[in-house]
Order: sequence, then structure tokens, then C-alpha cells
Amino acid sequence: MPTQYPPLEPLRTTYRLRFLTDKQLDDLQSATLEIMKKTGVRFPSKKCLTIFADHGAQVDWESQIVRLKPDLVFKALATVPRYFMMGARNPDYDLQLEEGVTYFTTDGCGVETIDFDTRERRPSRKADVGMMAKISDYLPSIGFVWPMVSAQDHGVSAPLHEIDACWNNSVKHVQSETVMGEIPCRYAVEMATVIAGSREELRRRPQFSLVVCTIAPLVQDTAGIEGALVLAEAGLPVGFLAMPTLGTTAPATMAGAFAMGDAEIISAAVLMQLYAPGAPVFHSLMQAWADPRTGGYVSYSLDSRTRYAPVEMAHHWGMPSLGACYGTDSHEAGTWQGAAEVALDPYMAGLVGADIVTGMGLSETYTLLYPEQVIMDNDLYQRARYQLMNLEVNEETLALDTVHAVGPGGHYLGQRHTRNHIRESLVRGITHQIGEDGKYRDPREVAIEKIDWIRKNHIPEPLENEKQTELRRILVAADKEICKG
Amino acid sequence: MNNVESETPALQPIIPAYHIRILEDEQLDQLQSATLEILEQVGIHCPSEKALHIYAEHGGLVDFSRQVVRLPRQIVLEAMSHAPRFYTMGARQPSFDLKLDGKALYCATDGCGVETIDFKTRQRRPSKKEDVATMARVSDYLSALSFYWPIVSAQDFPKTAPLHEIDASFNNTIKHVQSETVMGEWTARYAIEMADVVAGNEQVRRQRPPLSLLICSIAPLAQDRDGLESALLFAEAGLPVGFMSMVNTGSTAPATIAGTLVTGDAEIISALVLIQMAFPGAPVYHSLLPGVMHPHTGDYLGSTLEGSQLYPVATEIAHQWGVPTLAGIFGTDAMVPGWQSAAEAESSLLLCALTGAETGSGLGLVESCMLLYPESIMLDADVYHRIRIESSRLDTSPEAMALDVIKEVGPRGHYLAHRHTRINLRRRQFSDLTGQPRQGGGYRDPLEVAREKVDWILENHHPQPLEKAQKEELTRILNAADREKGH
Repeated sequence: MPTQYPPLEPLRTTYRLRFLTDKQLDDLQSATLEIMKKTGVRFPSKKCLTIFADHGAQVDWESQIVRLKPDLVFKALATVPRYFMMGARNPDYDLQLEEGVTYFTTDGCGVETIDFDTRERRPSRKADVGMMAKISDYLPSIGFVWPMVSAQDHGVSAPLHEIDACWNNSVKHVQSETVMGEIPCRYAVEMATVIAGSREELRRRPQFSLVVCTIAPLVQDTAGIEGALVLAEAGLPVGFLAMPTLGTTAPATMAGAFAMGDAEIISAAVLMQLYAPGAPVFHSLMQAWADPRTGGYVSYSLDSRTRYAPVEMAHHWGMPSLGACYGTDSHEAGTWQGAAEVALDPYMAGLVGADIVTGMGLSETYTLLYPEQVIMDNDLYQRARYQLMNLEVNEETLALDTVHAVGPGGHYLGQRHTRNHIRESLVRGITHQIGEDGKYRDPREVAIEKIDWIRKNHIPEPLENEKQTELRRILVAADKEICKG
Repeated sequence: MNNVESETPALQPIIPAYHIRILEDEQLDQLQSATLEILEQVGIHCPSEKALHIYAEHGGLVDFSRQVVRLPRQIVLEAMSHAPRFYTMGARQPSFDLKLDGKALYCATDGCGVETIDFKTRQRRPSKKEDVATMARVSDYLSALSFYWPIVSAQDFPKTAPLHEIDASFNNTIKHVQSETVMGEWTARYAIEMADVVAGNEQVRRQRPPLSLLICSIAPLAQDRDGLESALLFAEAGLPVGFMSMVNTGSTAPATIAGTLVTGDAEIISALVLIQMAFPGAPVYHSLLPGVMHPHTGDYLGSTLEGSQLYPVATEIAHQWGVPTLAGIFGTDAMVPGWQSAAEAESSLLLCALTGAETGSGLGLVESCMLLYPESIMLDADVYHRIRIESSRLDTSPEAMALDVIKEVGPRGHYLAHRHTRINLRRRQFSDLTGQPRQGGGYRDPLEVAREKVDWILENHHPQPLEKAQKEELTRILNAADREKGH
């Protein structure tokens, strides 16, 4: 019997914070337009260059650099939908993007796992993807599923096995961040069609979407961008993620890194609209730092404004945004650093109005899976969710009659009003669980226990047998074709 | 040992570029009306003859036998109209004065803990005066800390501990000192005398008061006699005085948030009204720190999932009354510094800043403000700076936009060799606790780095001392107080 599912708990809020002024947003947009017009973006794909050339862009075939005039950019982006639907296996979990609602997912795509049973560190595999999809399926904070780690036991067709593991363990929308190239993307669309039942239904309620990374500075990845065209043609949402690093692959100032990363994203979004007008696309910019001493990639400095300003840039273009939360640089779950770096993230994502957000659950800068980390990140998420709710001020909550009845110096323990409300008054996270000794338990220990509970007790609504069989058939074919390739 | 005097680093208050409103005007009006109704119809228990007489002389409805005062709406509003919205809390040096002008949030340590993890042995033990002094020196060095609360109790001076805490503070930091333990007229008179020594004269004491006081009310709806009477003396001397309510849902307040807020607000406002009746225009502040009761233990929890919204809401309530606030920040329920202490702190601090809180206290303790881990203050300061930067405006100037640099590097290049990179990478702000390479590879534990930094500060930072005459005068006052109390 599948477990009774709790309803989703996205961030919903009427509060809104504007980080960037209108002028700053205009200045950033102008800078992006200038970069696309004068410097250009390299598209190492004949197919993409041809699409651009057909629509009047200035293409340098030798350097593979495309330069886009502002009027072409705006004309192409005019067909971008501001909101769209991300469908799910179970329609109750469809995500209709809309103002004031933010849906979260896990992080990805890690390469190592702290084993669920032995607690040994080892390379990640398909079973880990399935297990974490099952855990994501259970958690109401998670609106859609990212394969959290790589299915490294399946070689070059790992990305397809990752989405297979997700659909077999969760009824929620699946978003891949690893499927790359035209052929793998065609297989992924075929798998999504199996889940949806038909191409038409898939286009209406896309149960699969894709994130494609750009290459800083100002380059697209051949396989990534050609794969994205496949999804756009099928009407599946596709997002472009720029990860400029201050001082190495981007200027050492944030505004410069933003404008440059934005140019990478917008140039790709323009291509999608030229190829398939109206295709659902989303914008994602996750800027990082180079450690000045080592050149190492630093996900969190003291300055995390960069996490949220790009959300406003996306909205300024009229596109939804995939916001970036979590992904601590800490090497272990449950450390001070693991909270100090990320604790504010979900709150800020809600406040700035990100549409969808990644990613709970990984350590070591998105590379290492501690199973309990997702529960700890979930606790931070729930704090944000409550903080973003409106406070109830009415006759019942003001309780003036009760205050009169108790008067100065009394206590409220025996009041009916207290009995009626005491259960809801404390929303207990993992930090306020009492142990047998009467003291509060270590939150990490509680998180590990909760993961074990979900593993043992949550039974996701199973995928129909014939669909399972069909997915397996597609995987066999893909393994054969991709491995051969 | 002769220590070389060192300069105290400049303060770095949180100056938010953004602001947010949590409660709507209508909700704030509803809450204020409820507070007024409680003050008028239920009243406040006030076990001080002196205070009751002040209330009675200014229109309060006093039941002397029950020691309960009820305050008609107009009386409250009239008294509160005298409370200043903005004023200055002074420091030994004017550049460390705190101008409470609504533009910046100034933060202090937590207090008043009762146990310390010993700086050298790492054993847990009762706190003592030396701990107050040591942490005052650490706080003097940290730019995150704008003023100092004696962080633990000087329990080796049981009868005059609050005065010894002030002495240890004044001798080890040039920053403003706020006591949260001075109670009763007797102690207050000595404390004011000590403030006079630091200020030098009455005019400075009133214009740039180096000492302020925080008094806790007793929930529900009661005042502490000693607290009120010491507050009256401080107000008379022109020293800022604030009232804090720590109402707890379900035990000392209704089990709903709004009811808890108005119960605590009524306690605070009744005391602020008293101060304004007695000394119109005296600098006061409002501090509402509601907790959520754990239904199994009855514990006051300051950092529950929904509870962290309450401190910023309290800031808005204070401003609705036209007075500054001391906001609740940090003050983790965690047993040790770690994931929980960071998890609980951040969004509440940011929201307090964005709602315009003027002051806040609570860096450096764990176990719900009871236990001092020396390294906690470094961890909390790191979190503080994250929030400080978070709430500042992004630079989008032409230099920051770097368009010429982007054009120059073009697609597929890199920025490592560019002059713009060399200049600007140094300006980026990294944590000095995280990402510290360990010899032999990997990274050091930030807690270990934090402990090391505390040791470094204690070894190297020696703030400007009080003048010899001031030191001697403080000692004379303390000796007199100790003699009088038979220490």
C-alpha cells in the first residue's frame, strides 16, 4: 500500500523584497544587451548557428560567435511564457508557477554518497538516486525532484538511469541537470512521453524538464544546447544555468559577473524562442568565487546577495527563475558552517519571489550526499516557510477574554483557550525533540533517524507495470546506442 | 605585564539598504488597541509604593491594596508622547557612540549567563568577574559588537555582582555598556556613580550616556519592584532604560501568538508610561522577546520554527509606540555551538535589521542564554557579518559592471591576469573561519579556528584603559558597595 501523501508545502508569501532598484535592473539589462551585441557568445553548434543566421543574427562561422542586436533579443523573448506548468506523475503534484509561490527541489548532481547503512564514503550509484527520490517524494517541502547524485554504475547513459530512478520512486515532477546531447535528450523525451501517456499530454503537463549549464565566459556547450533544442521542440521546460566565478571565469565584481552570466543565459533563451516560439524556458544564475589563495571554487563567501539578485534579473526579462539555495562548502553534514552558510537561503528565495529553487541535501559544494542533510536543510526551509506566513491577529488569537480571566500574576496553563491552542503553538523541528534523558536531542541524530524512518515506511505510489517495462525497454535501447556512440 | 595599548576597530553596524513591513497598519492598530484594553481593564501588578504613587498622581487608577494599576487609554498615550524616538547611547570615545536614528542596527553580546566553558581548561564551571572582563576585551575588538552586555554573571561577588560586572566592562571596553542585572535603588545609585566616573560630568552623562539599563518584567502583567525602582533612578540621571518582556505562550501568556504579543507589550508599556510620567522625555526603549512554551517541559523556547518571526514583529510594535527597540537576536536554544546555533540565528537577525530595529542583543551564549563558550562569539560575529552584507546594496557602478573587461576577455578567455581582477578580488569578503586550509590538505574546523581567534585577541588586543584616576574611583565605589553589603 502506498503511503498516505502529505500535501505539498511550497513557500507562499505576500511579503516581497526588492534588492535591485529599477535603475540597477535596467543598467544590468543594458550591460547584458551590450555584451551580446558587441562581444557575442560562442555557440559551437552548426545547428544553432544556422538558426541564429536564419533569424538575422550576426554569425561569425569561423569563431562560432553569435552577436545579437537588442531588437532581435526583445523580439525573441516576447514569446517567453512568464509562468508555466510543471506536471507530475500524479496531477495533484502538478506545479503551476505563479506569483507568490516558490517550489523547492533537492541539490544535484553529487558524485559521492555516505552509504545509508555502512556510513562509508563511496561513489554514488543509481540506487542512491532512487532512495533520495523516495525521500524527496515523502517530504512536503520538496515540490519537484532532481536526481541528487550521479548513477555512476551506468556509465555514459547515467543521466537516463537517473530519471528512471526518479520516476520509479516519486510521483513528483522530475528535472534533470545531467541529460546532455541530442540523442540522450530524445530518449529522455521518449521516457517522459511514457510517463505522460502521449506527446500531447506531455506538452500540456510536462512531467520532465531540464537544466543546461553554460560555460563561462560566454560559451555554450555543444551537447547541452543541442539537447535543449530537443526539449524546447517537445514543449518541455528548459532552463539555462550560468555559474560565473569571480576572478577566474568572470570579472571580480558581482555586477560584471551577473551581466556576463546573464548574457550566456539570455543568448540561449533567445535561441530557444527562435527555434520554438513560446517554449517554456527559465533563467538561473549561480555566481561563485575563486578562493584568492587557491583558485578553488567557493560557493559561499560572507556576501550571499548574489543568491537572490539574479532572480530579479530573470523577472526583469519576463522569465521564471530557478533560484540557488543551499549547497554548503562544509565537508560534513550538521556542522556550524553547514547552517551558517545556508540558513538564510530559503527565506530570501521566498522574499525575492523565486519561482523554483534548488537545492537541498548536498555538502562539499554540491558533490557529497549525506542522507541526513536533506532533513536538516528541510528544517531550515520550514523555518522560512513559517516566517513568510502572515501573522493571525483576530479576536481568537488576541485572547483578550483569557487575559482578563487570568489577570496580573496568574498563569495560563489551566485555561480552555490554552488547551485549544497549545498543540499548534509549538511547531517542533528537529531541534526541539526530547530524548529519554529529558534533554534535547542532537538535531543531526534526529535527522538520521528520520531518514531511516522514511526509508523503511514510505512507499511511493508505484509506476504502472507497463510504464516500468517501457522505461526499461527505452533504457536498454539507449544504453546500446549511447555506449556505441 | 605591560601590554601595548591597541586601537579598537571601528564599529560595523548593520545599515540596511532595504526595509520590510511584516504587520499591516490595521494589524498594528489591532495589537495596540488590545494592549490599551489590557492596561485599562485588567491592569498591571506593581509592588512598589513609589511607582504606585507616581501612577496615581498622573491619572492612573491605583488599587493600593492589590498593588494593581489600571491605565486609561488617554493617560497612556499622553505619557508615551514624551518618549524620545531617537537618542544617543554614548561610549568612552565619541566615534563609538551609538546614534539611534533608525538608520542602523547596533548589536551587543548576550547576557547574563551563569556558566562558562573555561578559556584554558575547557571545563564547565560557574562564571566569574574575570570572564566578564575577558569577554569585554574580546567584544571591544569585534566590529560586529557595538555595545557590551556583561555576558555572564560575576558570581564570585554574589552580593554586588552587577556592580562588579559594570566595573569589569568599563575597564575592558571603550564601547557603551548596558547592564541587565542592576536591580534595586541601592545598586542603581552605585551604578550611576560609576557611570559618572566614566562620563566625567553630568552633561556628558546625559548627552552621551556611557551606561544604560535593561529591566525584565514578570509575566503575566506584573512588574518587579527592584527593577522599577532602579529604572526610575536611571531615568532621573538621564541614562537610557528599557523594559523587556519574555512572555511564554501557554504558560505566562495565551497560547496564541497575538495574545502573547499584547500581554508582553502591556507589561513594557506600563513601565515606559511610569518612566515618562516621572521624567518626561527620559530615553527609554522597548524590548519584547516572546517565547514559545515547549508543551512537554514548559521551557521558554526562543528559536522555534515559527518563533523567529516574533522578534522582528516586536520591533514593529515598538515603533508603533514611537520608541526604539532592543531586538532579540541570536540567543540559541542549542546546547553547544554548531549547526543549530547558526540555523536559529540568521533570518531573525536579518528581519530585525530590515524592520528597522535600532539595537539588538544576544551574541555569544548557548543553552538559551545560559552558557558561555568563548568561541561562540566568533561564530556569531561571522553570521552577523553575513547578514550585514546581505542587507547592503549591490554595487552596479561602471567599475563593478566591468563591461570593458568583459569585452576584452571575450568568449572562452579567463580573468585571472586582468588588472581589474587583481584590484577587485581583494575587495571580496570571505569568512575568516571557513575555508581555512589545513596543513597537509583539507580545511580546518571553523570552531577550532574560532577558538584560536579568541586566544589571539586575548593575547594581542588591549583597548585603551581608563585613566588611572577613573580606575581608582571605580575601585573606591566598589569597595564601598562591598563593605556596605558585607562582601
